[in-house]
Amino acid sequence: MTSQVVEAAEPAADGVHVVIIENMRFSPAELTVKRGEHVVWINKDLFPHTATANSRAFDSGSISPNASWSYVANTVGNYSYVCTLHPTMSARLTIR
Amino acid sequence: MKTTLALVAATLILGATAGAGDLPTDPQIVAIVVTANQVDIDAGKLAESKAAAKEVKDFAKLMVTDHTGVNNTAKDLAAKLKVAPESNATSKSLQQGGDKNLASLKALSGAEFDRAYVDHEVAYHQAVLDAVDQALIPGAKNAELKALLVKVRPAFVAHLAHAKQLQASLVKGGG
Repeated sequence: MTSQVVEAAEPAADGVHVVIIENMRFSPAELTVKRGEHVVWINKDLFPHTATANSRAFDSGSISPNASWSYVANTVGNYSYVCTLHPTMSARLTIR
Repeated sequence: MKTTLALVAATLILGATAGAGDLPTDPQIVAIVVTANQVDIDAGKLAESKAAAKEVKDFAKLMVTDHTGVNNTAKDLAAKLKVAPESNATSKSLQQGGDKNLASLKALSGAEFDRAYVDHEVAYHQAVLDAVDQALIPGAKNAELKALLVKVRPAFVAHLAHAKQLQASLVKGGG
């Protein structure tokens, strides 16, 4: 649930994948990572979003504007996820 | 009923700008944006306390949060650009439409309130979206103001789809 402000221009480190939340979309909408890597969602919209697996395998809780949420992809699987606040927003994270 | 609401809302918002092909000026656009967000925040606050169904309450809370976020950004940008909001026929119509909506919602309760609130949200978001596309984005002179309008447009699209989903579920549930 911890959120921290991230500089927009911060480059992703090795083993760190970034998903930008902006314009009511997750970008990229499909992301595949290796087990143990980190995924960081950065909210660039003007209001909160969440990144929540339909299975609830992960759930960011509310990510404030200009804040981010980091997740360690520890469990192999194929996860559809949504913003629980905005039901039109969905994407997919594959961990292998 | 829904069509009537949509027409009324669209007329209210576009009435002043769609006529002679005159596009609003930046100070007018700021006033329209701030008023449009504020009337939906006010309706959302009422619905947060009065709505019967949980999903309607949740939607109302979301509208308050999202439109407050947009409005704070719009106000900050206007201050930065030193653009003072200029009240105009469109912003006044929006305010009057918002006041009228609040008055009629206050007289309702339960499932009737939920349906009326959600019906109005569908009409309102459609009308604002039309205004954004037809008057506000084409009219905006300042690049940052135009960029803000372009940035918030997807939120109105998503809110409209969300409100339509709710509308369909309320009809389906008979609630």
